[in-house]
Amino acid sequence: MAESILMRVSELVKHYGEVRAVDGVSFDVPDAAVFTLLGPNGAGKTTTLEILEGIRDPDSGEIEIFGRRLRRVDRATKQRMGVLLQEGNFEPYLKVREVIRLFASFFESSRSVDEILDRIALADKAGTYVKNLSGGQRQRLAIGAALVNDPELVFLDEPTTGLDPQARRNVWSVVSDLRSTGVAIVMTTHYMEEAEALSDHVCIMDHGKLIAEGSPRELSATLGQETIIEFNADGATEEDLAPLDTRCKAVRAEGDLVTVETEDLVATMESLLAWSKRQKTALSDMAVRQPNLEDVFLALTGRRLRE
Amino acid sequence: MIDVLLVARTHLVTALRERVTLFWFLIFPVFLLVLLSLIFGQIGQEGEITFTVTLVDFDRGSEGPFAGVIAGVFENLAEPDTAGGDPLFNLIRPDAADDLNAFLDAELVALRRGRRAAVVAIPAGYGRTIERRLFASSEDAEGEVELALYASEGNASSDMAIEVIDQVLAGVDREILTGAGLFDSSESVPHVTARIGSPEGEPRYVDFLLPGIVLMGFFTNGLFGIPGAILFSREQRVLQRYWVTPLSVPRYLAGLSIGHLTLCAFQFALLYLIGRLALGASVTFGGYGPALLLVLAAVTFMAFGFLIASLAKTGNAGMAVANILNMPMMFLSGLFFSVTGLPGVLRVLFYVNPVSYLADGLRASVGVEAGVFPMSLVIGVPLAWIALSSAVTAWRLRWDVGR
Repeated sequence: MAESILMRVSELVKHYGEVRAVDGVSFDVPDAAVFTLLGPNGAGKTTTLEILEGIRDPDSGEIEIFGRRLRRVDRATKQRMGVLLQEGNFEPYLKVREVIRLFASFFESSRSVDEILDRIALADKAGTYVKNLSGGQRQRLAIGAALVNDPELVFLDEPTTGLDPQARRNVWSVVSDLRSTGVAIVMTTHYMEEAEALSDHVCIMDHGKLIAEGSPRELSATLGQETIIEFNADGATEEDLAPLDTRCKAVRAEGDLVTVETEDLVATMESLLAWSKRQKTALSDMAVRQPNLEDVFLALTGRRLRE
Repeated sequence: MIDVLLVARTHLVTALRERVTLFWFLIFPVFLLVLLSLIFGQIGQEGEITFTVTLVDFDRGSEGPFAGVIAGVFENLAEPDTAGGDPLFNLIRPDAADDLNAFLDAELVALRRGRRAAVVAIPAGYGRTIERRLFASSEDAEGEVELALYASEGNASSDMAIEVIDQVLAGVDREILTGAGLFDSSESVPHVTARIGSPEGEPRYVDFLLPGIVLMGFFTNGLFGIPGAILFSREQRVLQRYWVTPLSVPRYLAGLSIGHLTLCAFQFALLYLIGRLALGASVTFGGYGPALLLVLAAVTFMAFGFLIASLAKTGNAGMAVANILNMPMMFLSGLFFSVTGLPGVLRVLFYVNPVSYLADGLRASVGVEAGVFPMSLVIGVPLAWIALSSAVTAWRLRWDVGR
């Protein structure tokens, strides 16, 4: 059965002066799925999302959302959307309950304030000023404000950036809960593990362009039957490791970490151990794993996501 | 509509909960009202006190041994003392060509505004009265006149000046009687003190001050409050959170404006109650005229705030622009001090300043002074500023942080 499309983006372009921040991006967002824009800082993810959220106007391109073609996201569309901004703040001297009530008033229909406070686990902080909340609590409040209208489509821009591991897990849990209730989520992140853990569909962006898309499994599969071997070789350089090249697809040395991609794990391991013995170089912290989205990005661009 | 009201409430509670804002928008105007109404006056340098006192001598040119005695005493006390210290009085006297009655009226207005500590009027025939008191029988009181002292009710500086003048007059009395060999401690220089601005009579100094402080409060609110709310919220991306919801800019603006005007209403109520209950003001602001002008003033200064928010890129730049405009606009408006005799350029600034018209119109409408400007200008100039500010705001104000 063909999946239904909630939002279709066609040839989106946005310039900031001479910089082409979004360069002809097109994609479809399926209903009830987690759709992730993955890429390094400056890839154009946030600008793309801000256009879809209605904060910015595109220079060209088209958006079809909830079955309506739009040049710019309008108020009627916003009634059905929830948005978690990357950098947005709240009035510091408002109390948590007041923030939720204020945002609820912006929509024609909304959930009760108490229901939202329970959902984001801030009921016991209802009377606390925003300025006195921790970073994780503020993020939960922001999620509450984004969900106050019971949206069909939620945008999450870098939802876990700057959060501690526990707060990050909480956000992941909220995303999973939303997905299970049939809400479509469009998310940006530069955390590969976040995209892999949460996404049904990933678009990899770089320099304003969409360079690959598919499910995390599909994208990893583009690297073929490769296996990744990572180890620490006491500062060995790529030149030192050149003898391995004939047996491997790629060898990279970054600092102390060496990454080897191979389609013949056994043969590569044999030659690696022989090289270690010959060079009298210990191989420490060795790990053998399957390729992930970071490796896909590396293979496509020659750079890591967080460079 | 609930969204607009909650945006208004947000603006209001944020202002009331933030201590710095609370101080400048509510506590400082009250503090200034109390301070100015109590001690506005003529405190001299190095702790010495010089009172600015007007002396109007209707008895000048008359003949007799006591003619000019009182005037001479005040003139002596207006000279620096032998040690070079400040004189007791800074004496204001009419020119020879002045009409004395008109001069007295003008000086009483100055007294009411706190620019004089006291006014002394020596009536015609006063020298003869002293002479008659000393040498004629006590029944022969026909034609006696009294020295008139005018003080400003509720002005501490004025009260002090009157105390001093009473002592001066007692000293004069003793000197005259002793000189005539007729010293009698039960007699004194015949005088009466009239406190202008008494409840039965004319407005007090605080009545003149209160409309000015109310306008100053509205002015500060508009100039600092509106750019602060918009520019800092924009910078900190508070506004951006609103723009991803269905809340529109016009509805946000409506909420912000209602919140701002409500804050002005709070400010007015507080100043009015303190002025009336604690400082004895009698001005009421009753009727359509004062109410209309108060609303016009609050809206005009709010529009100025939007104008600043349109021209400044950051919150700090907005506060700097507001500071640059604040003092000149307040002091070149006649809000607190007379602006007569200003040099040319400053005079132009006075005439383009909407505060000048609103201050004049409001004081005239509550009856504390006769207005200088016709009502068409009192309303028209602020309206022109509102129109200009609104046009610039619509053209220039950015709601997004941009890149």
